[in-house]
Amino acid sequence: MTWFDRATMNFTNVRLILAREVRDQMRDRRTLFMIFVLPILLYPLLGTAYFQMVQFQTQNSMTVLVVGSGQLASTSTPLIEDAAFSPQLFFDGSRGTELLKLELAPEGPPSGSDTAGDWAAEANRLVQTKKFDAALVFPPDFAKRVEAYRKAIHVAASRPPSPPASLSGGGGSSVEIPRPKIIYTTANERSLMACNRLTAVLDRWTEHVGKTNLIAGGMPAQAVRPFEVDHSNLAGESANKSANLWSRMLPVMLLLWAMTGAFYPAVDLCAGEKERGTLETLLSSPAERSEIVLGKLLTVMAFSMVTSALNLVSVGVTGCLIFRQMQDFGGPPAWAVLWLSLALVPVSALFSALCLALASFARSTKEGQYYLMPLLMLSLPMAVLPMSPGVELNLGNSLIPISGLVLLLKTLLEGSYMQALQFLPVVLAVTTVACWMAIRWAVEQFNKESVIFRESERFAVGLWMRHLMRDRDPTPSAAEGLFCGILILVLSFVFRSSIAPPTGFDGFARVTVVLQLAAILTPALVMAVILTSSPRQTLLLRLPRWKMIPAAAVLALAMHPFILALNSLVMHLYPIAPEMKRLIDDLQTKFASADLGLLILCVAAVPAVCEELAFRGFILSGCRNLGNNWRAILVSAILFGAAHGLLQQSINACVLGIVLGYLAVRSGSLLPGVAFHFLHNAMTVLIAKITPELIDRFPLLGFLVQPSGEGPAYQWPVYLFGGVTSLALLGWFTWFPEARSPEDVLQKVFEQSTEDSLSDAEAARG
Amino acid sequence: MIEVQGLTKYYADLRRGRFVALDGLSFHALPGQVYGLLGPNGAGKTTALRILSTVLRPSNGTARVNGYDVVLQPSQVRRQIGFMSANTGIYDRMTAWEMVEYFGRLHGLPQAELTQRMESLFDKFKMNDIRDVLGAKMSTGMRQKVSIARAIVHDPPVLIFDEATAGLDVLVARALLHRVAELRQNGKCIIFSTHIMREAEKLCDRLAIMHRGKILAEGTLEELRQEHGENDLEEIFFQLISRYEQSRSPTAEHDLV
Repeated sequence: MTWFDRATMNFTNVRLILAREVRDQMRDRRTLFMIFVLPILLYPLLGTAYFQMVQFQTQNSMTVLVVGSGQLASTSTPLIEDAAFSPQLFFDGSRGTELLKLELAPEGPPSGSDTAGDWAAEANRLVQTKKFDAALVFPPDFAKRVEAYRKAIHVAASRPPSPPASLSGGGGSSVEIPRPKIIYTTANERSLMACNRLTAVLDRWTEHVGKTNLIAGGMPAQAVRPFEVDHSNLAGESANKSANLWSRMLPVMLLLWAMTGAFYPAVDLCAGEKERGTLETLLSSPAERSEIVLGKLLTVMAFSMVTSALNLVSVGVTGCLIFRQMQDFGGPPAWAVLWLSLALVPVSALFSALCLALASFARSTKEGQYYLMPLLMLSLPMAVLPMSPGVELNLGNSLIPISGLVLLLKTLLEGSYMQALQFLPVVLAVTTVACWMAIRWAVEQFNKESVIFRESERFAVGLWMRHLMRDRDPTPSAAEGLFCGILILVLSFVFRSSIAPPTGFDGFARVTVVLQLAAILTPALVMAVILTSSPRQTLLLRLPRWKMIPAAAVLALAMHPFILALNSLVMHLYPIAPEMKRLIDDLQTKFASADLGLLILCVAAVPAVCEELAFRGFILSGCRNLGNNWRAILVSAILFGAAHGLLQQSINACVLGIVLGYLAVRSGSLLPGVAFHFLHNAMTVLIAKITPELIDRFPLLGFLVQPSGEGPAYQWPVYLFGGVTSLALLGWFTWFPEARSPEDVLQKVFEQSTEDSLSDAEAARG
Repeated sequence: MIEVQGLTKYYADLRRGRFVALDGLSFHALPGQVYGLLGPNGAGKTTALRILSTVLRPSNGTARVNGYDVVLQPSQVRRQIGFMSANTGIYDRMTAWEMVEYFGRLHGLPQAELTQRMESLFDKFKMNDIRDVLGAKMSTGMRQKVSIARAIVHDPPVLIFDEATAGLDVLVARALLHRVAELRQNGKCIIFSTHIMREAEKLCDRLAIMHRGKILAEGTLEELRQEHGENDLEEIFFQLISRYEQSRSPTAEHDLV
């Protein structure tokens, strides 16, 4: 694009602007605080707080009410000694006993009550009112029964033929021991912790009692735990645990801080300049807009990188200092420094350009601040979701911007270099493309008068509605186009989720047709009639050159093998959930028995008309007011893809959407697209009908299609012929001049700034 | 020096829908002349001046500044002009010296020449004691001085002042007008927009009275006076505008009085 033409770019100006902006930001106390002070203070503070919290949790003692403790004196294994749990029940002896402070309930009923059973109710009340963190209630004859059981074992053991196992089942004395009860409440953190500690102590005590019983039965105590299991971790316990933690934490932090670090300077550099009225002065200076944007972009990038780097250094140093004191933790791995600094450059570039483009919309710094939340909301899941357990770097997720990069970093930090190397080119390519698009967007924002001189207007619904009705253009605005797309998405979603999945083919046909008519066609038609002055022009309802319709039909046939191949590639990359697959297979079997005419009507004909009117009609016409035909095609294709409920279908539909959009733009008519769409869908239905038996009957078919496990596939000559034909036809369509929107023409003139294209502009303005 | 022919600019906003901010504006201004654009708020003065300084693109028509077309040769146009807007465009976190230097360097002045020129400007405008004062701490008068220094540091042949005296007290405004008159003597072509009649009367060699994006009358002050048989510019201005409003909607009440 001519805006970043190296030949005309004056890098002295870029440097001047960069130097000024950096100096300007360095004089801003808020920026300095955000970038330098916050990270240096934040992590040591957070670390200390966390450390103290852990200390508190491990050292804070809990109070426990013990009911019915008097009877325990008679048990042969002591639980309570001197009003505390026996030290031998804790791994760390007497220190453990301090963590659970016991209060023994006296014998007899609680004051104000006359039965012993009321102690349980009283304990409930005391825990509820937080007088005690938890209560431990022993049933009245608990100790007696435990002793009785032990004696029974002893007796059984002295009678050789009858094994102790028959104690409860056979004719022997059956002893059932009532269970002690821990009373606690999950509504209270301390209570929960007390419960956990009590459970641990009681488990150990139960084990001790069990051992005593075994000894009483004449068996070795070791019988309870005949052997122990050894662990051997090759990475070493602490190294593994901390590498895992750091490899999840650092990439996300890098991203979040690169974004935050870019955001505030970006808002100040754009909105701040508008607010102070300096932008106009700068724009009327010899600095070109591209130079201004580049200077600002580099400034924002510098601050983004410094913020992110300082935060990472601070967290690393804090981690080394604080976690070192904890047994099984270590600081981040040393190599992390290299990987993180390498990743910092593209991440900062991406977020800087995004923030700059967003901030250029804002009229004031205050308004600019509001844009952070949506950006955060969108990027956060992309950064955090890949960190969920079990997500591994693979081709599928390395294609997702941000997420791929986060996963690559994680893989590198874990030390799996071969895996990382394998997907490095993909992640690099995706990130580069994303950066380039973001930068382009930022430059374009600065070229738009409507963005740079956006004036605050009083917004009132009434005024706005009147404006919509009064100032109708022949075609909808880009915003109206996008709104229609989103409306269709929402309606289809609501429709799909509110009806039960159809069981038979009739039900499926009914649902499909109603969905197409109600959720896709109706919004587009209604909006075209209400919001545009020429629904005909909007919906491209004109005849193309007649040759275009057969050409589009042949293109659909020629491209079909490739679309099928793409489909299986997508299925391979992003495997479909088994449950979903079962549903789809189910549907396929229903198709097999359905009437072919009806099937083609509701799978091919109805969607071809409805979806074309909506996506290539209203939405594409609106998007074309974005000023660039390819962008319009892409946006409408993405919406078209999103309207297909399943991710795997969406990718396919998106590619088809691009071809369909291209046909619509080149021909200026909806008909070639309808023809293409109809034939493509019809082919998908028909090819599924080709069975081995059919090929046996018509051997000629075998030259085109071969049956395979996944359904029929095309033979290679078909690919060859189809590829050549597709390319030829797509090339043929480029011969026709594309109809440009007036905004598009103006944009071109402005970019070229040459004398000869002025007449074009004049024509467009007229 | 400045030739404007049929300049038109459309905007769209919620309240007015698509409306014409400039409706076929034509005039020309010569070197050594102060050309005044006189009009009420919303007449289209700022839009016209923004188009002349290549900040906005016209929807139609042409404008040439010192021979360069604002649409086709925007970079050359920007080298010919010094632009000063109503809000002075002062950076809060830059000192007076840095600000003037910044724009001097953007205009490509060599360092030695720039320093020399800035020294003489700072002496002439008596700004040496505010050299190191940050924009945020400047008074309105100081801002105005710095803003002019910034606009003329590269010695442009054309100067564009957009409501430069808006919000100034009498003393500062007077000093500013004095400076503009000086610049005229140095042979600059100056476009000066205002809605204050007295300033226009005192300063402008030629005047265009603008309303609703159109020029209602144009000429020297003397020509305007003779044409309308009225000595007071304010009276002429008022007559022109009320006559125009009457012709748009003869029956409507006009609350111009």
